[in-house]
Amino acid sequence: MSEPGSNAITGISLRDPAHRVSPRARVMWILGAAVEGIVALVVLLVAVLVWEVPAWTLALLLAVVVVWVAVVPQWRYLVHRWETSETAVYTQTGWWARERRIAPMSRIQTVDYAEGPVARVFGLASVTVTTASAAGALSIDGLDREVARRLVDDLTRQADAVEGDAT
Amino acid sequence: MSPVSVVAAAHDWQRLDRRMLLVHPIRELVRFLPALVAIAVAGTASGGAPWQALGVVVPVALGVLRYLTTRYRIAAGRIELRRGLLSRRVTSTPLDRVRTVDLTSSVVQRVLGLTTLRIGTGLAANDEGDALDLDGLPVDRARALRADLLHAAPVASEDGWAGDVPAAPHDAVPLVAFDPRWLRFAPFTGTGLIVVAAVVGGASQLLESFDVWDDVRSDDLPVPSGLGIALGVVAGVVVLVALSVLGYLVTNGGFRLTREAGAWHVRRGLLTTRETSIDEERLAGVAIGEPLALRLTGGRHLQAIVTGVNRSQSGSSTLVPPSDADVAPAAARAILGQRGPDGPVDAPLTGHGPAATRRRWTRALLPAVVLLLLAVAAVATGAPWWLLVPCVVILAASAALAADRAAGLGHALVDGHLVARSGSLARRREMLDVDHVIGWTLRDTWFQRRAGLIALAATTAGGRGSVGLLDVPEADAVRLADEALPGLVSQFATVPRHGLNTL
Repeated sequence: MSEPGSNAITGISLRDPAHRVSPRARVMWILGAAVEGIVALVVLLVAVLVWEVPAWTLALLLAVVVVWVAVVPQWRYLVHRWETSETAVYTQTGWWARERRIAPMSRIQTVDYAEGPVARVFGLASVTVTTASAAGALSIDGLDREVARRLVDDLTRQADAVEGDAT
Repeated sequence: MSPVSVVAAAHDWQRLDRRMLLVHPIRELVRFLPALVAIAVAGTASGGAPWQALGVVVPVALGVLRYLTTRYRIAAGRIELRRGLLSRRVTSTPLDRVRTVDLTSSVVQRVLGLTTLRIGTGLAANDEGDALDLDGLPVDRARALRADLLHAAPVASEDGWAGDVPAAPHDAVPLVAFDPRWLRFAPFTGTGLIVVAAVVGGASQLLESFDVWDDVRSDDLPVPSGLGIALGVVAGVVVLVALSVLGYLVTNGGFRLTREAGAWHVRRGLLTTRETSIDEERLAGVAIGEPLALRLTGGRHLQAIVTGVNRSQSGSSTLVPPSDADVAPAAARAILGQRGPDGPVDAPLTGHGPAATRRRWTRALLPAVVLLLLAVAAVATGAPWWLLVPCVVILAASAALAADRAAGLGHALVDGHLVARSGSLARRREMLDVDHVIGWTLRDTWFQRRAGLIALAATTAGGRGSVGLLDVPEADAVRLADEALPGLVSQFATVPRHGLNTL
């Protein structure tokens, strides 16, 4: 244990995980955000027409939606990364708030592979790795389908190689 | 009857204790009480006796049926419970998945010397109300069964039930036993405060609906209404305190914490007694709770972080109820096996540094300052001046909260335990065995990244799912995580200027 604030002296920090998710995930996220934004705009437009909500709220919402569609998915794509090693899985998700999760191979309980209806159109899949903790599932969205399949196989094989009930 | 033969006999399907023939009908009668009252009223109106008899016979018959259709057995490494007449349901649990065993006795059961044995497995099935309850066993037999179940959990033994069964835990010398002086903490506990708030809210609504406040202000009262209101407030507070003390007594009366055969046993409850047993293997750590109200009055409480016991079963995790400040730490020392004066319970904690302190202050003060500025603007445009008073009070309270929250932050890694303390109104000092750490979560927002801080959480299979350190300098977080589980985090770390050996 060292003095607090020693960050500046030694500068130890976690690096980003090695692999990006598929670039197609960015398109999928932009599309999702655009659909959400359009729905919100239509709802507000109806409100403006029917209940005489002031029209400048539309301009405000439009600005928010533009940022939501143009900036957030790109930011999310830059943050979303993953990596596996012999002994651990390491994921990074989020955009404004960045969350990094590390789980040892020996503690992995299940490995889930999922293709949502939208993700399937883009040839993408998500992999979720659960441990015994209620707070500890590691989830990687927007993986290329082939990469995701290989990842699931690798993880399952490596997790099986370790004894114990993973709690 | 020796306990070994008790459990050996359980290999065949068998019924619960015969005395449940008394308990079940009483329970059904209570459940049918509203209907019974209605039937009785209708019966006296029409004058027909058979109807009234039916109202009693049906619940009693239901109770008897419930007894006759419920059976359990222990066979092939599983404990199985079969119940139901029309839709039959079998609940089954592998013995090596048993994590906690609770014995709960209602008043009726206590009179008859019975208890309900509940098996906690920590599996998702528990959330669906599928807990395995053996409702109605003789107390001796339930204790013997419990000893065997907990014994079977860590090592699933092939030959079954061999070995000596320890004495019932209530015979052992308790580590902590109930002290009536603890009752003074009752009004300051979380549940005490909730009771107070609920009663105040309910009473004021009731008074409002009857327009009592108008009456109080009228001249009917023999004393000046100011004094009357003051007396009313005092009387109300006395009632609320009495209620919270009563609640504490009913929940925690007769409390004792004992250790027996590799498990910790907590027994409490004045009317309905409850014995919780936590297998030592499953005890991931303990948390000393020191919420503000308790801290100011010199109290502490202790909870267990148990593998397989989640938040919804938090009642099962109490190790020591709110009590004098030295009781919970003493129990924690014994439970963690701390010998020296600088174990996890007492070790000084490393603070989180000036950046974390600054963050506590900005987070607490920002809303209060905004509120104050709004109030100032409102007053400037003609609002009454006293609007500022509550805003200033809120600002002062926020400052006090920020100072307390900053002072509370701390972490350490001592004797294989990760120690983390945070919070003010609900401060906890959590001590987690690193062997039970099953992963790390590091979270930082853009603001935190700029301040060089990060929230580190050690995930575990028990308790809230994780033990968290709020706003640690990132280098400290990485170093701590790497010291706790060597090699796991360092493979993903970068050290720009020095070698990895500085870790």
